[in-house]
Amino acid sequence: MPTHLVISKGTELLRVPLVSLMYVSAEGNYSVVVTRDSHRTLMSMQLGQIETLISEQLGSSGSIFIRAGRGLIINTDYINYIDISQQVLVLSDCEGSRHELTASREVLIKLKEYVESTVKK
Amino acid sequence: MRRSKDIKDDEIRIITASPTKKHNRLWIWPALITAVAGASICMLMLSRDKGVVEERAEMVFEPEVTIESAPELKWLGSYADTVKSYTEHLRDTINDIPLDIYIPHNAIPELMLGVPDIHDKSIVFTTQAADIRADNGKIVGAFVLKGKPLSWGLSKKGYCAIIDGKLTVGVADNSPLFEEATEKEGYFFRQYPLVAQNILVENEPKGKSIRKALCDRGGEIMVVMSQTPESFHDFSQALIDFKVNNAIYLVGSSSFGYFRDYYDQLEIIYNKFRYGYQYENFIVWKVPSQI
Repeated sequence: MPTHLVISKGTELLRVPLVSLMYVSAEGNYSVVVTRDSHRTLMSMQLGQIETLISEQLGSSGSIFIRAGRGLIINTDYINYIDISQQVLVLSDCEGSRHELTASREVLIKLKEYVESTVKK
Repeated sequence: MRRSKDIKDDEIRIITASPTKKHNRLWIWPALITAVAGASICMLMLSRDKGVVEERAEMVFEPEVTIESAPELKWLGSYADTVKSYTEHLRDTINDIPLDIYIPHNAIPELMLGVPDIHDKSIVFTTQAADIRADNGKIVGAFVLKGKPLSWGLSKKGYCAIIDGKLTVGVADNSPLFEEATEKEGYFFRQYPLVAQNILVENEPKGKSIRKALCDRGGEIMVVMSQTPESFHDFSQALIDFKVNNAIYLVGSSSFGYFRDYYDQLEIIYNKFRYGYQYENFIVWKVPSQI
């Protein structure tokens, strides 16, 4: 079972343990990879390409990651708080790493439904 | 690299081995599998010819796998020399618009205030960056110089951020790269957006002028300039046809700029100065060892 995600393009290579990868956000034609230590790494790769890498490298292990709209890939293990009315999504490991993100209401509604469905299983 | 299927802002998608899988369309796969299996059984039953049956079965159970891959956009510049800092000057004509293309190599971008000295050999390329207001001489839109915000506001949606030496061109109302630039001693400025994610952005100013743009073409950063006066629309369309993914405007017309080629020859693009503005600003690419 893969334990790391490797993002390699041109002269850059980023290798991230899956448990450390909190989210990836789109920044123009680039992507910002954010890890539990709150480090942000700007990679010259579009978010859709990162999504493809996750699916190719991780297979079923990649299912802990969700593409949320055009701008985000999140690690569902760190979904900590959703406020649809305020359009707030908090990713946290509850050990000091906390990231407050903004997402559309529709995305948050679906994320909430998804998390609820995993509990009911 | 194969690109995943588009997603809308109001959709989510669980990332699995099938990147196109959507959370709200999970029923599609069982239905598809059932349909394929049903069709296979029908074909097997209907076909009385054993050879045909074997052929069909082979077709169903051992399909030829064809991997479609979008062709990588080939970079324009020459990257043979990984040490020397210089600017590669190319020319091309797109939609009958002759273009000058400047690609800085092995150089670090940053912003600076004041007109760069043409004798400064640490600079391999420079051109004006953000607009300044004629009435008060201040910078139009947000501007960060080595981590220090000098101007705030959103008058133009295009932006350029330089953080840890990496240049990002994009279009957004709010970009976290502004804050990141302030935190990491980076640089940030705003300009008219011309191309956003391969889509032309229309701009208000009419008329024709020499146009200049900071472009991201498949990750390759370049400055593209029209040799002839063009409208915003025609210039942006030429950039799209030139396969530029994101582009923002740079102070155009005959604004000052110069570059040094591979043989250290100084080439002045235009020699028009607009002295007297405190915040006249330039984007420069510098030799890494001389920063």
